[in-house]
Amino acid sequence: MSQTPQIEPLPAGLVHEPLNWLFAEHYRHRQLCRLIERVGTATILLREEVEEILAFLRQDMALHIIDEEEDLFPLLRRRCLPEDELGPLLGALSAEHRDDIEQTQTLSTLLERALIEGQPPGHDLETQRLFTDFALHERRHIALENAVILPIARLRLTPQDLHALSTRMAARRGVFLDRSDVALPLDDPDRSGAMP
Amino acid sequence: MIEELLRNNLKWASAKARIDPEFFRRLSQQQSPEYLWIGCSDSRVPANEIVGLEPGELFVHRNVANLAPAQDMNLLAVLQFALESLKVHHIIVCGHYGCGGVRAVLDGKRHGILDHWMQRVQRLCEDHDGELAAIQDHEARINFICEKNVLAQVRALSRNPFITDAWKRGQSLSIHGWIYSIRDGLVRDMETTVTGPDDVSRLEPVCPKPRSRSRAAGKSRPS
Repeated sequence: MSQTPQIEPLPAGLVHEPLNWLFAEHYRHRQLCRLIERVGTATILLREEVEEILAFLRQDMALHIIDEEEDLFPLLRRRCLPEDELGPLLGALSAEHRDDIEQTQTLSTLLERALIEGQPPGHDLETQRLFTDFALHERRHIALENAVILPIARLRLTPQDLHALSTRMAARRGVFLDRSDVALPLDDPDRSGAMP
Repeated sequence: MIEELLRNNLKWASAKARIDPEFFRRLSQQQSPEYLWIGCSDSRVPANEIVGLEPGELFVHRNVANLAPAQDMNLLAVLQFALESLKVHHIIVCGHYGCGGVRAVLDGKRHGILDHWMQRVQRLCEDHDGELAAIQDHEARINFICEKNVLAQVRALSRNPFITDAWKRGQSLSIHGWIYSIRDGLVRDMETTVTGPDDVSRLEPVCPKPRSRSRAAGKSRPS
């Protein structure tokens, strides 16, 4: 890609602050939403933007869902008090993650086809709506997580929880945090320890 | 192709011998693993590999859904040998998210003998009926029960007579509950480690509901 990416990279320092990391990831998802709306409603094929979206959906989005579904949410279920009444909300957010996975597959198929055919992906109003609806739902989902999930996580998770969360989130991205908390890139001499 | 496996074996054994010529001689003299692994049969959860242990370092028992029923002769034989002969210091119950056995319980269909094997998990679903109902997503429900199943197996083991006898003898023995994700290759500690009889009481209790309120988990919810 020759142009500047529309979705900013994640600051490397956040590797030790998992909740701020997730918050920053949500900000990147908002940037993704803007990009998706632009690409999905454009009358010409924005090739580089399409490639950026595809890469984000394939890698970043998929990892983010694992961060939450198989790390943060189970941890919150264990740590939250009954009066937090978080169970139903976590249950609903999990369902939205499932929808996200299905919708990203649909969008990815449309985007890949657009690249092959050299045509804009939103070739009719119905297809355009797939893109705009995705962005709409994603923004709502992120707003809910920022407003409820992250504040409760800040309240309930212990420093040990946060450290364990950091190490797993980093490992998921190929970065090993050793006991001295130094990010060690794995088998890649070109990696500086910054998050991919 | 089955020949490929034999060829792979040749490659593996020769590589081991090249790196460490004494490796197989040492291995053949004794096994003294510190750990007993009770895991799922799922082919995507290779016990030694995910915890970075070599042959000889992990005694392994696997079955569908990593169950540890006190009536299972296979498990009991493994347990007795591990405790009395090998004198392992740690037992690890390692479940995994997306477990097919748990999925079979929650899908409400018939699976033959598997349904009998999984009856304990079926009961677990009934015990957590209310919490399951709050989780709309089917995969998240499966993962929730996968976690609860690990806790239930740690609880069952901590009451197994072989284990309680070992503690009575003063044997150093901890039981750990872990869960693995096939999606990222990472193990999560379920914080349910039991190091002796005093720890057993602090394990999260299952609060069975009156049977009349319980429902067959898979049949009561859409997937």
